[in-house]
Formats: sequence, structure tokens, C-alpha cells
Amino acid sequence: MRERKRSVELLVTVLGLLLLLGACNHQKKVVAPPPPPPPPPPPAAPVCTLTAEPTTIETGQSATLNWSSQNATDLDLEPGGGKVQASGTQSVTPNESTTYTLTVTGPGGNSSCTARVTVTAPPPPPPPPPPPPGPSEQELFNQNMKTAYFDFDKSDIRPDAQTALQSDADFLKQHPDIKFTFEGNCDERGSEEYNLGLGQRRADAAKKFLVDSGISGDNISTISYGKDRPVCTDHNEQCWQQNRNAKPAWGTESQPAAPPQQ
Amino acid sequence: MKSPASAKAGSIRIPKLVLAALLGTALAIVAAPFLTCSRARAQQITVGTSSGAPRIKIAVTEFQPQSTDANLTSLTQEFNSVLWNDLDNAGIFDLVSRSFYPVKPPIAPADVVFDQWANPPVSTQMLAYGKTEILNQNLVVTAYLYDVKNPGNPSVLAKRYVATLDEISTRQVAHTFANEIVQTLGGGLPGIALTKIAFVSKRTGHDEIYVMDYDGFNQHPITSYGSLSLTPRWSPDNSKLAFTSYVSGNPEILIYSMLSHHLLPFPKYPGLNVTPAWSPDGKKIAFCSSLGGDPEIYVSNADGSGLQRLTFSPTVDISPVWNPKTGAEIAFVSDRSGSPQIYIMNSDGSNLRRLITGGGDASEPAWSPDAQFMAFEWRVSETGTYDAYLIDIASGQITQLTHDAGRNEHPTWSPDGRHLVFESTRGGSREVWMMLANGSNPKQLTTQGENWNPNWSN
Repeated sequence: MRERKRSVELLVTVLGLLLLLGACNHQKKVVAPPPPPPPPPPPAAPVCTLTAEPTTIETGQSATLNWSSQNATDLDLEPGGGKVQASGTQSVTPNESTTYTLTVTGPGGNSSCTARVTVTAPPPPPPPPPPPPGPSEQELFNQNMKTAYFDFDKSDIRPDAQTALQSDADFLKQHPDIKFTFEGNCDERGSEEYNLGLGQRRADAAKKFLVDSGISGDNISTISYGKDRPVCTDHNEQCWQQNRNAKPAWGTESQPAAPPQQ
Repeated sequence: MKSPASAKAGSIRIPKLVLAALLGTALAIVAAPFLTCSRARAQQITVGTSSGAPRIKIAVTEFQPQSTDANLTSLTQEFNSVLWNDLDNAGIFDLVSRSFYPVKPPIAPADVVFDQWANPPVSTQMLAYGKTEILNQNLVVTAYLYDVKNPGNPSVLAKRYVATLDEISTRQVAHTFANEIVQTLGGGLPGIALTKIAFVSKRTGHDEIYVMDYDGFNQHPITSYGSLSLTPRWSPDNSKLAFTSYVSGNPEILIYSMLSHHLLPFPKYPGLNVTPAWSPDGKKIAFCSSLGGDPEIYVSNADGSGLQRLTFSPTVDISPVWNPKTGAEIAFVSDRSGSPQIYIMNSDGSNLRRLITGGGDASEPAWSPDAQFMAFEWRVSETGTYDAYLIDIASGQITQLTHDAGRNEHPTWSPDGRHLVFESTRGGSREVWMMLANGSNPKQLTTQGENWNPNWSN
């Protein structure tokens, strides 16, 4: 056992000597040749910045692109700019959202930077002016003008017809340009021919009431349909009453001129 | 029975026929000592309410086709049907039912066995018979009228008609023979079988003017305006129709030529222009117009010149009709009393008087052709119905013609004064009917849609 301990002690000593020897050799090598000139540093890579101000515009508005660069010999701004200086500004008016790209090229390679201009739709046009308030004159006419009703075989204006026609006159005074026709109608009783005359009398009586109330007779035409155009076809007084009327109808037919009276 | 030769020796009546060709010598027209018995009866038959005179008994056999040609058979059936209806419509005959006739009808004078017809069960006075054949691509109808109670001298009419082989011509031949019989036996008044009736029809949905044969056949439109066309009136010579149309937008009087089928000039007036009425000489037109402000009666020449106002009442004055005999008076409707009533004035507007003195609504007067009667429609009380009436103008006697059958309105006369055509709702829809002037024998003439305001040609 004792012998093995001694061989380990010998190995450690030899290794220590070898280490010492090695250290002496290294010192000798550094000092010997002059050092070569250091290699040139590699060229710096080009860099750039590109900004847009503002970044959001409405259609038709402009934005300003602002850029700078380093280590670049060649700058290309797309779209639209082409070759540009190393730094600068440019106004753009894109019609739609656009990403601008500045490509910079130099000895150190190339690089690029981008800026986006967002184009928003213009605000909706101001709402059109509101339509004229309320319905058309013809609709108003249809809503407001009242029918005058008559007794059997009569064309006299009854109190209820006076009320209706006075209301018509009040409406027409507010709408002095309206031209219309009183259509005279009769119930089914009585002869075809007499009722043609009676319907004419009713239409003319209603017109006369309005003219007497200050409405221009030039704006009122009359026509009789006799008993040819009933609104109700039952055979009772309720129905007949509806059919004995002078009914205002929108528009007029041109009338032939009256001949000179004898 | 007389031979044709001896018949020739008698007095020959030359019929004025449009369509007919006279047979001439072979088929002599035997008028001979002309039927004194029948003539005497015929003179009792007058218009209007006095038509209760005994009717002439007549047997009308089926004319016999002389071949089996299908077209001839069909046209002969048409002929037989039309002849029967015409004589039935005439109002002066008592047609003996065919069920009593001998099995084999005569087709020529030699075939007539008088006792078979004069004695029971037929017991007729008159016998119409004949034959049909096709000759030279024409329909030839040989037609006889015999007085079988007068065997010594029986031949009243012997006619030969040549017509084209179609329905219309066949009907015209039957109408022509019927007219001959009516004129011969009916006191000389022309028959109405070839007359026309104008009326208003709504069958298309619009009010249009239509014309039909007097028996309702051949209804056809005169206007196709798609508007309101109303109150048609024949001119006295039937060459023109005056009526009102709203086609321009305003009711105006139009005059339509039935010859050229064009409108003739007539002035356009403002307002209502309706119910034109021809004077009996055809030279003037009376009408209702509101051109002066309210419906009044005016008269002008038929070309519109010489306009003159006849009424001056701030009410409805409408529906003028001329006295057809004299042209010196105009009847019309006015509500100047508060309800429509019938008035008569001289044709210059003077001498105004009220015709119907009862109450209610009286309107649409129609003067009989002899000017003795006025037909009109009347509702006697407000709860009553509208019916056709007659007034004897001289005596003022009023006769009601229609009863208890819907509304019966606008009666107007046939040219023979024996008939009235009118509008009636008795079947539900307003339709054109005709009847005898005493109110009997009503017959419906129209069925398609509503039809009204009939006017009989002259």
C-alpha cells in the first residue's frame, strides 16, 4: 500500500514542472513579429426614419412625409417620391390609405422604413334639406275638400252643405292656385236625362257658393254625371243620400268658349 | 182560285221593295178587288190605347226548302223564325198555332186546300206560305199571302225575293215580306220589321252608343270612346244619329253620319249639352245646354247656326221633343214647379203650359208619330215606382202601361205608333224592352250588360 502512495506524489511533481515550462514558451512568441495593421472596420449599415404627419387624413386632405437617413447614398421613396435627398419632407394627397416606403441604400447595404397614411371617407354630406313639410297640394286638396250633399230632386244648398262648402272656401283661400271640378251626381231614382240636368245644377250651386265666398270662378269647373257614377249601389235612402252630391275633384277640363248670347 | 192570267188583269200593287225582285208575270201579284173585309178591320186598328180592335187571324206556315242543301235548310229555318216573330211582334195579328196546320204545307197556289185553312181547327183568315230555293248561287224565296175565306179571289200578295246566301240577307227578306203583309193588312201603315233601335250600352264597362235591329238582332257599337256617350236620337231620315259624348272631357253634342260613318260638324258649347232632338223636317236640333249658366232648352239649325234660347227658368229644363206632325211645338221636362214635370211650348218658346197636372215625377216625354199621344215615365208619389204612361193630349186621359215590374222608364215610339221601346229593370238589370202601345206583349231585346235610353229609327 505504501508503494502506490509514492507513485502519485511523483506524477503530481512532473505535471507541475511541465506547467512551469509551458509558461516560459508563451512569453517568447508575443514579442517576436510586429503586429499587422488592423483590418478597416466594416462600413456602417444605412439607416432611415420616415414619418407621416398626420397619419390619418380624409379624402382630399394632405399629409407630410418627413424622413432622414444615415449611411445612405441612395434614397427611394415610393410610391410617388422617387429619388429623394438624404432627408426631407414631401406633401402627399393619397386617395386611399397608402403605406410609403423609403428604401435607403449605402455601402453598408440597404434598409427601408415605412410610414402609413390612413385615408378615411369624408363625413356624409349634410342631410338634404328636409322635404317640404306635409303632403302635396293635391293630397291636401283630397284630405280637406268636403263634398256637399243634397235633398232628393233638389239643388239647394242645405245647412250641412253650407258648412262643408265654407270649409272648402277656407281651404281654397289658403291655396289660391288650385283648380278643380265640382262633379254633380244624383241617386238612381228619376229619369236618366233629368238627372243629368239635376247633377249640373248641383255642381253649379256648389260652385256659386264658393264664388260668393270669394273663390275665383275661373278655378272651378263643373260637370254632371247624372246617375251614371253612384258611389253606392244599394237601394235605400242612406245610399241614395251618398249619391246626391257635388263632389270636388282635382283638376279641370278646358271648356269651350260660350257663344254670344242672343 | 184565279189563274195567274186573270190575276194579271186586276189592279196590280207595285210594292216598293229594297231587296225584292218582282216575280213578274209568272207569279202574278194578285190584289184584285182588294180584300174589303180585311181592310175594313184594319182601319179600326189605331195606335195607342184603342188597339183593342179584333186582330186578323193569320196562319204562317214554314216555308219549304226545295233541296236538301244544308245551307238552304239552315237559312230557311232562319227565315221561318224571323217571319213568325215579325208578324207576332206586329201587334195586329192573331197567329194560329202551327200545331193545328195540315201536315203538308202548301208551297204554291195549286197546293192550297181552302177548307183545310178556313175551317176548324185552323179557322184562319189569312195564310202565308211559300218556298225557298237556291238559284244561281242566290237565295230565292217565293212567298204568298192568301185570304182563304175568299176562295174566289184569294191572292193578296205573291212575291219573289232574291238575296245573297247569308243570315243577314235572309233576315232582311223575311222582314221585307213581313212588312208587306203588315202594310197590306194593317191599314197602310208601314211595318217596322226593317227598323233599328239606337240605345246606350254599358256592356264594355263604358257608356257607348249601340244600334240593333228592332228585334234585338245584330247589336253593334256606333261609338267606342271609352267615355260616356248618351241620349242617341235618329234624324228623321235615319241618316244621322245625334247624341252626347263626354269623350272630350265635357259633355258635347256630336252628330254621326250613318252613311259616311264620320262625325258631322256641330258647335262645342261649355257646360252640359245633352238630349238633342231633331225637328220633323230634320233641319233643326233642340237640345239642353247649360252654356248660359243652367240647363235650358236651346234650338239651332242642324249645323249649329242660328242658336236660340227657348227657356228662361233658373231650374233644370231638359229632354225636348218636337211635335212630329207639325214641328210647331216642343215638349220638355222642367223642375220649375219643384219636381220634374212635362211642359209644352211653341217651338219659339212661347205659349208655355204644363202637360201633366198630377204630382210626383213625370219626365222623358215622347210624342207619338201621329202627335195624338205623349208617352212618358211617371212616379205618381214619392213612395211609388217609375212606370211608363200615355196621355191623350187632347183629352188629358192618362193610361198606365207598365205595372209592378221593376222600374219602367224612357218609353219612345216605333215609327208605326203601335209599339214602344223602353228601359226596364223588371229582370234585375236595366235592359231595353219593347211592348205594344197598350202595354201588352213585352219582349226583352238586350241582355248583355246594362242597356238603356232606346230611340227607334223612323
